[in-house]
Amino acid sequence: MFVLSLLIFVPLLFAVVLLFTKEKQVKYTALAFSVAEFILSLRLFRDFNPGSADLQLIEKFSWVKSFGINYFVGIDGISFWLVLLTTFLMPITILGSWKAVEKSQKTFYVSLMVMQTTLLGTFLAMDAILFYVFFEAALIPMYFLIGIWGGPRKIYASVKFFIYTMFGSVFMLLAIITLMVMSTTLEGGAMSASFIDFYKLDIPFVGGTLLNSQTLLFFAFCLAFAIKCPMFPVHTWLPDAHTEAPTAGSVILAGVMLKMGTYGFLRLVLPMFPEATAYWAWLLMLLAVIGIIYGALVAMVQPDIKKLVAYSSVSHMGYIVLGLFSLNLYGVTGGLYQMLNHGVSTGALFLLVGMIYERTHDREISKYGGLAKAAPWFTIIFMIITMSSIAVPMTNGFVGEFLILMGAFGANKIFAGVAVLGVVLGATYMLWMVKRVFFGTYGELVEKYKGKLEITLRECIVMAPLVILVFWMGLLPNHFLNWSKVSLEHLVNNKDNYTLSYSIESKKIENKNIIAFKSETVK
Amino acid sequence: MEIDFGLRDLFIISPLIALFVGSLPPLLLKVFRGNKEINLAGSVLYALTGIMVAFGLMLVMERTNSYAFSQALKLDSAAVFTSLIVLISAAISIIYAKESSFSDRGLFSELVFLIMNSTLGMLVVIMSNDLIVLFIGIEVMSLCLYMAITLTYEEQLSKESALKYFILGSLASAIFLYGISFIYGSVGSTYLGQIGAVAAELISTSRIFLIGSIMLTLGLLFKVAAFPFFSWAPDVYQGAPTPLTTFMATGIKIVSFYALLRWFGTNFLTSDRTIVIINILEWLAALTILFGNFAAIMQDNLKRIFAYSGVAHTGYAMLGLLAAGVGGDALAGGASMIFYLVAYAFMSLAAFGVINILEKRHSTLLNVSDLKGMGYSKPWLSAALTITLLSLAGIPPLMGFFSKFFVITAALKQGYIWLSIWAVIGSVISVFYYLRPIVNMYFSKDVSELAEVINYREKRFTIMSVLSFASFLVIFGVFADKLYMYVLRSVMVLF
Repeated sequence: MFVLSLLIFVPLLFAVVLLFTKEKQVKYTALAFSVAEFILSLRLFRDFNPGSADLQLIEKFSWVKSFGINYFVGIDGISFWLVLLTTFLMPITILGSWKAVEKSQKTFYVSLMVMQTTLLGTFLAMDAILFYVFFEAALIPMYFLIGIWGGPRKIYASVKFFIYTMFGSVFMLLAIITLMVMSTTLEGGAMSASFIDFYKLDIPFVGGTLLNSQTLLFFAFCLAFAIKCPMFPVHTWLPDAHTEAPTAGSVILAGVMLKMGTYGFLRLVLPMFPEATAYWAWLLMLLAVIGIIYGALVAMVQPDIKKLVAYSSVSHMGYIVLGLFSLNLYGVTGGLYQMLNHGVSTGALFLLVGMIYERTHDREISKYGGLAKAAPWFTIIFMIITMSSIAVPMTNGFVGEFLILMGAFGANKIFAGVAVLGVVLGATYMLWMVKRVFFGTYGELVEKYKGKLEITLRECIVMAPLVILVFWMGLLPNHFLNWSKVSLEHLVNNKDNYTLSYSIESKKIENKNIIAFKSETVK
Repeated sequence: MEIDFGLRDLFIISPLIALFVGSLPPLLLKVFRGNKEINLAGSVLYALTGIMVAFGLMLVMERTNSYAFSQALKLDSAAVFTSLIVLISAAISIIYAKESSFSDRGLFSELVFLIMNSTLGMLVVIMSNDLIVLFIGIEVMSLCLYMAITLTYEEQLSKESALKYFILGSLASAIFLYGISFIYGSVGSTYLGQIGAVAAELISTSRIFLIGSIMLTLGLLFKVAAFPFFSWAPDVYQGAPTPLTTFMATGIKIVSFYALLRWFGTNFLTSDRTIVIINILEWLAALTILFGNFAAIMQDNLKRIFAYSGVAHTGYAMLGLLAAGVGGDALAGGASMIFYLVAYAFMSLAAFGVINILEKRHSTLLNVSDLKGMGYSKPWLSAALTITLLSLAGIPPLMGFFSKFFVITAALKQGYIWLSIWAVIGSVISVFYYLRPIVNMYFSKDVSELAEVINYREKRFTIMSVLSFASFLVIFGVFADKLYMYVLRSVMVLF
């Protein structure tokens, strides 16, 4: 029982324990804790029933009674893999930054643990305010990760990251409050913040004008999630944050945190504002396509490897949004799959860039060259991840992008056509970078550090699960998609009147709360 | 007029008597000892005993809901709750004063006396049911503070700020009093209850009443430092010794807002003709938020930053006030406003406590850059300050977030959409300056000398108070409902 709450709050408990651990042992303890958390999350395979689109394993307790806010967590096919992605990436991240972090290690690992709590909370929360709390609280550990262990421009990057994302989410808060006020019109008459009740709301919509409630609410949510993703015009915080963040920060940021945005689209925007979504999907698809092309073009001219990967993220996240707003099963499935792919492959890319940076302390592409001769094993792994990132068949990226493009063709042929161009551009910038870094004559840095560049055993252990996943997800996508299929089908088929049901025992609790609340107000 | 009061009346004002009695021994003992400051801890003990007795008496009378002195004073659960917060802030301020540089000087007993009597004035304001009594309470509370600020006589800054505060405060009092005379002229009474019975109707028929109520509102808005009457706040906050700044930021703000709530509770804004006034007040609230936040960005001095941020927080509390003033679901507005002020009081007590710890002398001008490297040399204190700052910025799940959430929800329920949008934009702007101390504490390589030398033993109670208020911010954030329900039940009597 309480699997989900355990998953969310055990890392927080670990964080407290880490506070009282000796500085020397802290990283071993942190690794053990994160592995334990991952093993705990594997329990979901047993407890979660993929055959049902219902919300499962729910827990619902009254939190702020007078406002109808509950501690309400639950899992379905949409959040299932994102939860596992988070718990899976965390031990890898910790082992990956084994040597990179030297100063104040304790704070570092505590931040990572708190981070994990907030990320899992965001994916599992089924109550809007609870969701918002985790969504916002996730900023704090990331802010410290970038600010304390970041590069030379860390202060600028961390403050920009914080303010940018907060700017988006405060409007979401306003929209949530508006929805809560609206929810008093539902049966029962009490205020409610649960997603389930928000889905039931019938929000007035007028196409073509901006000043009607559904359109305004739609854009308030979209702004928050678009900034988090990030989508084209509001992406500028991402390159700065990624370049300055330590490796672990980048991996978590790209691997999981950006997914909070796309998850938000899938969980909230699509089902809650069906008319507005159908009407304005073209705008989001347009921005997504611009993001794909723009991200790829900018990535091409970056002199810094990490910045290149960061801009490639803008491009890849564009695909995900394109898929989601195709509003058909292919697109949405592809979008969800690409979220996982992006977590695996971009996370791996940041880890690899981090490994090389640890040795040379420089990321300038022009100073490399001939790395393939100096570090053949490293090169092989880097090539595999590159293939995954540019969506070569047999790797995970291919499945995701293929599904997304299938979906996009079903929705809008022009956007899909332009997006295909992005695939070519993606191959161009990645392969060109690989050529400049790994092949040719020895660059000055490779010359200088020649003997020390090869990948170590620890780093092999870090990369092995990611490489395995690249092929596993590429060759047997059904192993993964089957867990989400029913939920996604349910979402796409009922997108105009979406609802999530959950089991009866919990409803009893809910009724009790309503009765308790009523007697409270009567008194 | 027959003046008649019994034991019952005296019992109701017994907290005031306790405060006054508690404030006397420090001063008298000093006189008997030949004007020598000897036992500082003793003075604090007498004062705290007085406050604790008042606190206990208030708790005893929580459910009384009764009038005293032919209905001039009213004690109900809302008044009791607000008084408790004021008493806490007075007690903490006295403790801060004991452990600040103020105690080196020979005027500590006088300071304690003045803080106690200012608190007495505050309780009179809270309990008043009559505009004249309200005025007397405001004057007692303000005059004591004017004097208390000047007590640091050798400091140029404090003299200047006291004079500024005195002149502007007197002007506001004059406007307030003039407003009362107008209202008396049109209603024929100064009792809030009698005014409330006719206010909604009179505001549209009687121009005299309209002018009077506008003047009254303006006078009170001065006290809470709302736009455009905020210009005194930064100078006074900076110039006054930090313990007094703490007291002003928490006590005066809460009390003045409570007076505003009582005044708005007469429902003079619920008629159709007052939409213009409401719109103006709405804009004042939005401008208060925006000006406070923008001005705070420009500051380097920590006390000025918190002063301007205090102005911005006034704007947020005004959201709740406006929601309470226009009828409809007024209870949510009033409760959210009180909750906001409690949260703000806790945050101010923690933030100014940290400043008090870091200041070596009264004239120390503590800048943001003086916090450099503190995150590593003083981890607990820095963690407490970080929590406080994040809470001030409204980051969940801290108390500051829920206080903002409650006022914005109350405002949206009443249809203040634009005001709510300005409020959240303001909270994004505020992040700029709330993050700066954090950046300096944790992200900087150099260490400032100021953070290095803190005498923990000398300031142990201040440190304890800072740590406990920071933890309250977390506890009442996660369990905000419990406190909110308590506030709701207390405030219910007003509506």
